[in-house]
Parts: sequence; C-alpha cells; structure tokens
Amino acid sequence: MPKTANTYDTFTAIAEPKRRQLIEVLIGNEMNVGELVETTQWNQPVVSKHLGVLKAAGLVSERREGRQRIYRVNAQELQPIQLWIKQFEKYWNQQFDQLDAYLNQLQNKGDNQ
Amino acid sequence: MTDISVEPAVMTRDFNAPMQLVYEAWTQAEHLCQWQVPNAEVVCEYVSADIKAGGSSLHKMTMPNGHDMWLLTRYQKLDPFTTIVFRQYRSNEEGDILPPPMPNWPKEIEAIIQLSENNGVTHMKFIWQPVNPTPEEAEAWTASHAQGAGGWARSFELLAAHLAR
Repeated sequence: MPKTANTYDTFTAIAEPKRRQLIEVLIGNEMNVGELVETTQWNQPVVSKHLGVLKAAGLVSERREGRQRIYRVNAQELQPIQLWIKQFEKYWNQQFDQLDAYLNQLQNKGDNQ
Repeated sequence: MTDISVEPAVMTRDFNAPMQLVYEAWTQAEHLCQWQVPNAEVVCEYVSADIKAGGSSLHKMTMPNGHDMWLLTRYQKLDPFTTIVFRQYRSNEEGDILPPPMPNWPKEIEAIIQLSENNGVTHMKFIWQPVNPTPEEAEAWTASHAQGAGGWARSFELLAAHLAR
C-alpha cells in the first residue's frame, strides 16, 4: 500500500537541522508562528513548512487560543528517538537493565513453582 | 568496498542468570517483547521471528501517540549459548529497510553479543560497530561518541532537562 506523501516518521522529521532547531526552541516554551519567526529569524512559510512536518510526525502539537494557534513540543515522543540515535549506549544500557530485571523476574517465578 | 576501521562501541554487563536463559531472552520472540521496550508506554509486537543464522525478525514498537516504529533484525550468526550476531534496521511494516535516520548515519551496524558463564553469573560483552562504513559514516559514528558534538547533544540536553522538571 502506498504511503501518503505527507506522513513523516519521527526519524525523518528530526533529521533536518532546522526542525531540530524548532524543537529546541519549543522545548519548555509554547509559541505561536509569529514568535517562532521572530526567534528563528526565518520567514513564515519556512517556519510553517517545518512545523507541518513536526506536527505530522506527532512531535509538535497545536492548540487554538482565540485566533492564534499555539505550538508545543511533545517531549515524551522524542525520548525513544533520543535513546536510539544519539545515546545508543544509553539505549542499550537501558535495554540491558530491562533484560536484567526480566531475567530476575523469570527466575523468581520459577522458584515459586 | 571501503576499508575504514572505526572504534566499536563495547559494553559489558553481568546478569544473575544462567547463560542459556540469557541467550534465550535474546533469541526467542516471546522473551524479547518482555524487555525490549524503552518504557512501559511503548507496546512491542513481533510480526515475524525467524531467529536463526540467515533468518530475520520484524517487530514494531507502538509509541504512546500511536506512531509505529518498525525494526528489522537480520541474524548473521547464532551459537547456542555463547554468540549472537545481528544487524538491526529501521524498516516499514513490509520489512523494507528505510534509509538511516540522520544524514551520514551508518547504514549497517552489527551487534555482536558474546556470553560466558561463571558460577551462575553470565557475563555479556556487547560490541556495536558499523559495517563497511563510508568515510562520512565513519565520521558520523565517531562524532556520536564525542561529548557535546553537533546539534544533537544540545537538543538532547535541553530535552533531558525539560523532562526532568
């Protein structure tokens, strides 16, 4: 089945440096497009284009406030990617922690039987 | 074919479990989903699991927002209960390999797991290394090890600080 051209997975969405910069700006801050234009010094179509991609990937969400659309970053959605790409050692270490806990759980179950 | 060597990432870990159990936890789908999720909000499902040398598995992680992340794992070598060699790729739901997540990220990374047991404790050595990297891939790989390299480190520091609040 063909994928629609405007759905982006999270990795593709954050591979672009400008989108990472938008994410950085939005971490801990809610902003409208005007504020984002002012902060980034990019023109409005550029900001809107990249916001659209981040929204499609579920990394940024918008809410309406009167006539304004306010954007915020969905930080929780970024967490698995953070672990996966950059801090892969942390990712694997976390996996090993989970494996350790799981192995203990398995063996404790066995003891009770 | 390039002949560029990069430093592998090597991690070691001791598990308070017999080698056979550790090996099975890595090589049986019913075990894998029990521990391979980044957090409790993420749902894991294996749609195929032909876990043997030359075989592959396909599983998906469903994020809290409903987005799926598909991972294809190709097994190069399985020696019960000492050695597991695999390459993992992000893929689509058909198991077609997708391009690397960021520019110049190595297209192929091989994981080598070596197990040994002593008095009921299993020692695991985990080696992670790009396969035949291009010069650019080798650079990206090396940069990802460096503290504070590139824009990623900063984004992630901000993110970590935000999530910790």
